[in-house]
Amino acid sequence: MKVSYLLWAVLVLPAAAGGACLLLRSVRAALLWVVVAVGAASAVAAAAAWSVFTGGPIEAGAGWLYLDALSAYHLLLLHAVFLLSSIYAYSYFRREASFGAAQARRFGALWMGSLAAMALVLVSNNLGIVWVGVEATTLLTAFLICTHVSPSSLEATWKYLIMCSVGVAFAFIGTLLVAASAGSSHLATGDALLWTHLRAVAANLDPATLKMGFIFLLVGYGTKTGLVPMHNWLPDAHSQAPAPVSAVFSGFLLNTALYCILRYVPLVEIATKNSHWALDLLVGFGVLSILIAGAFIVFQHDAKRLLAYHSVEHMGIIALGVGLGGLGTFAAMFHVLNHSLCKSLGFCSAGRLGQMYGTHDIAQMAGSAHDAPVWGRGFLLSLLALIGLAPFAIFMSEFQILKAAADRSAFGIMTLFLAGTGVVFVGALRHAIGAAWDPPVRHPTPEHAGVVDRALVLVPLAILLVLGLWMPESLRLALNQAADVIRGLPQKGGF
Amino acid sequence: MTALLVNILLPLILAPLLPGIINRTKAVMAGRKGQPLFQLYYDLWKLLRKGAVYSRTTSWVFRAGPMVALAAVLTALVIVPLGGSSAPLHFAGDLILLAYLMGLARFFIVLAALDTGSAFEGMGASREVTFAALAEPAFLLGLAALAKLTGSLSLTDILGGLTWQIWSFGAPELAMVAAAVLIVFLTENSRIPVDDPNTHLELTMIHEVMVLDHSGPDFAFILYGSAMKMWILGAILVQIVLPGTGAVSPAHLGVSLAGMIGLAVLVGMVESVMARLRMVRVPQLLLTACAFSVLAIILVLRRS
Amino acid sequence: MNELIDALMVLLVLMNLRLLGSSRLAACIRIVATEGIALGLLPLLLVWSQTSASSVEPGLSGRMIFLSVASVLTRGVLFPWLLLKAQRDAKVRREAEPFLSYPLSIIAGVLTLVLSFWLRSRLPPSFASGPPLLVPVALSTILVGLLVVVSRRLAISQVLGYIVMENGIYVLGLALVREIPALVEMGVLLDAFVAVFVMSIVTHHISRQFDHIDVDQMDSLKG
Repeated sequence: MKVSYLLWAVLVLPAAAGGACLLLRSVRAALLWVVVAVGAASAVAAAAAWSVFTGGPIEAGAGWLYLDALSAYHLLLLHAVFLLSSIYAYSYFRREASFGAAQARRFGALWMGSLAAMALVLVSNNLGIVWVGVEATTLLTAFLICTHVSPSSLEATWKYLIMCSVGVAFAFIGTLLVAASAGSSHLATGDALLWTHLRAVAANLDPATLKMGFIFLLVGYGTKTGLVPMHNWLPDAHSQAPAPVSAVFSGFLLNTALYCILRYVPLVEIATKNSHWALDLLVGFGVLSILIAGAFIVFQHDAKRLLAYHSVEHMGIIALGVGLGGLGTFAAMFHVLNHSLCKSLGFCSAGRLGQMYGTHDIAQMAGSAHDAPVWGRGFLLSLLALIGLAPFAIFMSEFQILKAAADRSAFGIMTLFLAGTGVVFVGALRHAIGAAWDPPVRHPTPEHAGVVDRALVLVPLAILLVLGLWMPESLRLALNQAADVIRGLPQKGGF
Repeated sequence: MTALLVNILLPLILAPLLPGIINRTKAVMAGRKGQPLFQLYYDLWKLLRKGAVYSRTTSWVFRAGPMVALAAVLTALVIVPLGGSSAPLHFAGDLILLAYLMGLARFFIVLAALDTGSAFEGMGASREVTFAALAEPAFLLGLAALAKLTGSLSLTDILGGLTWQIWSFGAPELAMVAAAVLIVFLTENSRIPVDDPNTHLELTMIHEVMVLDHSGPDFAFILYGSAMKMWILGAILVQIVLPGTGAVSPAHLGVSLAGMIGLAVLVGMVESVMARLRMVRVPQLLLTACAFSVLAIILVLRRS
Repeated sequence: MNELIDALMVLLVLMNLRLLGSSRLAACIRIVATEGIALGLLPLLLVWSQTSASSVEPGLSGRMIFLSVASVLTRGVLFPWLLLKAQRDAKVRREAEPFLSYPLSIIAGVLTLVLSFWLRSRLPPSFASGPPLLVPVALSTILVGLLVVVSRRLAISQVLGYIVMENGIYVLGLALVREIPALVEMGVLLDAFVAVFVMSIVTHHISRQFDHIDVDQMDSLKG
C-alpha cells in the first residue's frame, strides 16, 4: 500500500464515520461507534506517523497534503487525546440522564467532524486550507460547547464563536500577506500558498511583508491558542462545555492553532536571516500568558476554569520554549505531549467529580480523595503534575525550558518564568490539597468506577511518570525531528 | 460690466424668487394652489413700509444684527461667481473669506436673538450654533477638496476651473463634495430635513424662532439676507454639479440659472416627501456630510 | 477600467459608513447584502481591467465566473435571508444603544479610512501595483467590520460586523494574491457561509433562552 493513501485515510475516515454516526439509533451505539472509529483513525495516523519518522516526509494529492515530523508528531498526539476523550465520553455521557439519542448522534457527528478538521489542519500543505481547517474546527466545536443548551453555555458559545471567528479572520490576512511576500521570488502563482514551496524559497521572501503577516498570524491563531491578551473566550468555553469536549479543547484544539503559528516560524526566521524576531515575539506572548494566567489561577473557585487557566499558562510555556530556541524548542515539543495528556486527565476527572458533586466549585469538592478514590485522586494528581511537581514529565520539560533560557543568558525571562510558575504552583497547590483532603462539605453520589475508568486515570499518569524519569531514545529522536522543522534545519529522517 | 450685471444685479433681483419656487413646488405636490410665486417680494415690500417695534430690554446689538447680517451676505455675493464668469472680486483664499462672512452673518443674528433675553430665542440660537459648528467643517473641507482638485484657492478659479474633464476622472470625489454641500445647503437655509421653516411650534424651530422679535424693515433685511444666502450656496452647488467648458458663455449662464430653479424645485420636492429629522439625528446627518468631505479630500490627495 | 473599480471601492466605503450610522437592523442587513453583491463582481472587473490593459485575449475563465456567482449567491442572497429570518425570530427591529453612538461611529469610520491610507503609504512597494484604492479600502472595510463587532450589542449586528470583515479580507485577497487556488477560495467561502449559518442558529437559541439577543446582557461568566 502506498503511504500517501494513509494521508487521505486520516481525513476521510473520521469524516465518513461522523456521517455514519447520524444513522445510529441509541446513545450507546453512537458513543461506542465513536470509540471504534477514533481507534481505527488512530491506527491509521500511527502508521502514517511511523512512516514519517522512519522514512522522512510524505506528500500526497499533488503536493496539497504533506506530513513531516512536526505534523506527524502533532497528528499522533491529536489521536491520542481523541482516543482518551472518546473512551471517557462513553462513560461520561452514559451517566447523564438528559443525554438523548438525538444529542448522541449530533455529538458523534460533530466530534468526528472536528477530528477530521483538526487532521486537515495538520496534514495540509496549503496554508489557505490550513486556515479553512482551523475555521472549520471553530464552527464544528461551537455546538459541542452547548451540547446541553443553557444560558451560560450559550453565552460561552457565542463568545467563542465571535472571538475565534474574528481572530482567525486576522490569521487569514496574515496568510495572504505571507503569500504576497513570495511575490518577489517568482513563484508560480498557484504555489504561493504551499508551505513546502515557501520553505524552499524562504530565503528570498520579502522580510517586511512576511513580518507583518506573522504579526497577523500570531494575533489570529493566537486567539484560538488562548495566548494572553486574546484568551477571554477560553475559560468560559472550557468550563461550559461537557468534560470530554473540554478535554479535547484543552488537550489539542489549542495546540492545533499553536501548530499553525509554529509552521510560520521557520519561514520568518530564514527570511530575516535568523534575527530571532519571530522567536522574541513568541517569548513575549509566552511570558505574558504565564504571568496573567498565574494571577487568575490563584483566585479561581471553579475546577474547570482553574484547568482552563492552566491551559493558558501551558500554551504560554510552549510558546516561550519555542521562542527560546535550541534546547527550548525540543523541550516545548516535549511539553506539548505532557500537557495534552495531563490536561485530558484533569478535565476528565473534574468532569466526573462535577457529575458526582453537582457543582464545579472546588470548595464543594472537599474531601474528594476519600469520597471518590479514582477520580478525586486523578484530579489531585493531574493538578500536581500540571504545576510541575518533580517526578512527573512536566517538571522535566519545564526544567529544560529553564535551562534553554539559562543557555541564552536570558536571566530576566528566567526570573519571570520562575515567578509565574511559582505563583501557579502555590496557588494551584492550595486548591488541589483543599479539594483532596479538606473536611467534606457535601456528600457525592457514589463513584462506581470500573476498570476502564481506572485505566483512564492510571495510563496517562503512568506515562507522565515514566517520561519524567526516563525518556526512550525513539521519542527523543522524534521530538528532535519535530523541533528541527521549527528550527528550520533540514530533515534528517530515520530513527 | 457683464460680470457686475450677472453676479450682482441678477442675484439681487432673483434671490427672493427661490423661496417662492420652493413653496410653489410644495403646494403643487400637495395639490394646493399655494402662495403666489412672488410672495416674498410682496412681503419684503410690505415690511419695508412698516415701522419696527423694539423691546425695552434690547440694546443696539438687536438693531445692528439684521443690518450686519445683510451687509455680510451682500459682501459675500461679490466674491461668488455664477455661470462660469469671474466674480467682481477674486483673489487667492477668498473661499475662506466666504466662510467667515457667512459666519459673521450668523454670529450677529445669534447675538441679536440672545439680546432679546427670551428663552425661546436663546434656545433657537443655541441650536443654530450647534448645527453650524458641524456644517462649517463639512463646507470648508468640501471646498478644500475642490481647491486641491483644481489647484487654485479662489472661488472664481475653482468653480470656473471645474470642467467635464475633471468630472470624467474625478466623479466619485466631486459627487461626494456635491452631496456634502447639498446637506450644508439644507442646513444653512433651515430646510427639511434639518429644520422646518413652516412650523408654528417654537419648540421645534431653529432659524425661525431666532427672528421672532424682529419686525418691519429689520425683518425684511433678515428675510432678504436669508434668500441671498440661499442663492450664494445654491450657486456654488449648481456650479459643482453643472460644470462648464472652462469658457464664459451665455449658454452656460442659462444652464446655471436653470440649475438654480431646478435646485429650488428639488428642495421643494424633498420637503414634500420627507419629514423633519429628530433633533438628535441632525448632528449625524451633518457628520455624514463631514465624512463625505473628508473622503473627497482623501481621494483627491491620492490622485496627486 | 480602473475608474470603474475605483467607483466600486468608493461605493463600498459609503456603504460602510451607512452601516455605521444606521440603527435599523433590516437596513443594515440589506447594506451588507449589497456590499456582498458588489464584491462578487469585483474579480470579474479586475480580470477585465487587466486584459484590457495588456490587450491579450480575455482571461475570463469559467472558474472565475463560477466563483463570482457563488460569492454573489452566498453574500447577496443566503446571508441576508438567514439574518432576516433570525431578526424576525428575535423580534428586534433596531439596535437601541450601541457602545459607540452613531455619530461617533461615523467619525471612527472616517478615521479608519485615514488610517488605512496612511498604512498603505507605509507598505512595501510590492503592494503598489493594481488599482490604487483596493488595498486601503480593503483595510478600512476590515477595520469597520471589527468596529461593528466590538461596538454593537445585538448578536445579529455582531454577525454583520463579521461578514463585513470577511468582505474586507476578500478584497484584500484579490489585491494581494491574484491567483488564490479555487479550492482554497471555495473553502473560505464555505467557511464564511457555515460561520454565518452557525451564528444565526446560536442567535436563535439565544433569543429563545433569554428573550433578547443583547449579547452585552449575557455576563454570567466572569473571572
